[in-house]
Order: sequence, then C-alpha cells, then structure tokens
Amino acid sequence: MKDIARQSMSIKVESMDMLNAQIKMEAHASALYLAMASWCEQNGFFTSAKFFFKQTEEEREHMMKIFNFLIDTGGNPISPEVTNINYDYSSIVDVFESTLEHEIKVTKSIHNIVKKARELGDITTERFLDWFVMEQVEEENTIRDILDMIEVTGTEGVGLQMIDNQVANWIE
Amino acid sequence: MNVIFQSTYYTLYQATNERCFYIDFGQKKIRMPFCQLLSLRHKVMSIDIADHFDSDLNTHGLEVLTLCNKEHLFILNTLEILDLKNLVEHGFLAIGLSAQKELQTY
Ligand SMILES: [Fe+2]
Repeated sequence: MKDIARQSMSIKVESMDMLNAQIKMEAHASALYLAMASWCEQNGFFTSAKFFFKQTEEEREHMMKIFNFLIDTGGNPISPEVTNINYDYSSIVDVFESTLEHEIKVTKSIHNIVKKARELGDITTERFLDWFVMEQVEEENTIRDILDMIEVTGTEGVGLQMIDNQVANWIE
Repeated sequence: MNVIFQSTYYTLYQATNERCFYIDFGQKKIRMPFCQLLSLRHKVMSIDIADHFDSDLNTHGLEVLTLCNKEHLFILNTLEILDLKNLVEHGFLAIGLSAQKELQTY
C-alpha cells in the first residue's frame, strides 16, 4: 500500500499542533507590542514607540516563518485568534520588564517544542527551530540591555526622557 | 480501498489509486483528499467535549460539522463526536503521521 499520507505531509501532526500554538504565540506577541507602541505614543515615549512598532513587525515575520514552514511541509497552518492584550502599564520600566518576561515565555515555548520534536524523532521540525532558538537569544539580550541602560540612567528628573532617547540605539 | 481504522460508527479508508481517503459516516461515504482529512482533524480536535456536559454552553449536546469546504454537513451527538475524535486519533496513528504511541512508550 502506497503511503499517501507521508507523501502529503513530511512532519508529525503533533509537531504541527505545537507549531500552530507557536504561530498563535507570535501573533500574540505582535499584538502585545502594538499595544505597547500605543501606550508609549500616548505617554510621550516616542522613540520607544518606534522600537515597539519595529518589534510588532518582527513578531509578525516570526509568525509567517512558521506559517510558511507548515505550508512547505504539507501541514494545515491555522490563522490565529488573538485575545487578551494588555494596555495597562505603570511606567516605561514596566513596559520593558513585561517585554522581557514575554520573550522569556517565548524562549521556553520554543525550547519545549525542540525537546518534543526530538522525542518524536521529527528532525525536520527540530532543525527548523534552530533559527528561532538563536533569534530568542538576541531578543532577550536586546531587552536586557535596555533594562540595564534604564538602571544606569535612573528614572529621576530628566531620566525618563533620556531613557526614551537612548532606546534609539536598539532600533537598527 | 484499504481500511485504515474502524471506530464504533465510522471507518477510514485509503483509496491508493485515487490518492485520497474516504470516511464512511454510515449514511454516506465521503471522499477526502489529504488536506481535507487534516481540516477534519482540526475541526474535530477543536471541539471541547466538556461543553456537552454544561447545558449553558451546549444546550442539546449537538455539534454541527461542515466538511470539505461546506460540501457536507453533519449534526452529531456527544457519543458520535467522541467516536470521531477516536477515529481521527487512531487514524493518524495508523497512517504514520502521529507519533503518540511512540511517545507513550518512552
Ligand atoms: Fe518572536
């Protein structure tokens, strides 16, 4: 009996399910950073707003990368529903701290998929995620650097405005 | 046609010469290219069976399932949905695209 299923799809359905969940997570990140951009604009942190507009685009690209991988492997990519976007932040520091927390969550989720793909013997999915593992190192590092800069600058007096100006260093 | 898996109410077949699958739903047999089988899997797995035991969330314990780009429509009860979930799970295991069994032996 010819293996029509394998001829149609080259990864395991469990990997596909996990990647669809990751698509949702990237879409959520994209929406979250857009909300942060909005907060920054409304609170006078215009450079930070620019930074988050850029992050929004990047997260959307991450999402599309996975989406296209599912197409290439014959899977069924699902267009994500995004809900529960937080718009409330107590300060610009809170915004960046929330960002780091979210990036750590994403890193953990990707590591989890890598581990499970390895258990499943799904080498294709495991190797596909190599790029994401390294990308997360960069993402986390960027936000950590910004938080370090905030710490050094301090939030007293003109500190907040200086912080916002310096965020420009992380917008390529 | 080769039988891939048979549950209580349904049977999944592979039609090798047509490069597609069939599901016998009892009242009718439906032809499904692989992508439609994937789509069915998504729809069936997305059904939260717990809703069937909450009269506020699902008053009559029924699900409306449209298949193959709205070509077919089924109204299924709780037992039929559970059986269809079973068919999907074991069917994908049998066609070699699910590794659940391998995972459980770890
Ligand atoms: Fe991302």
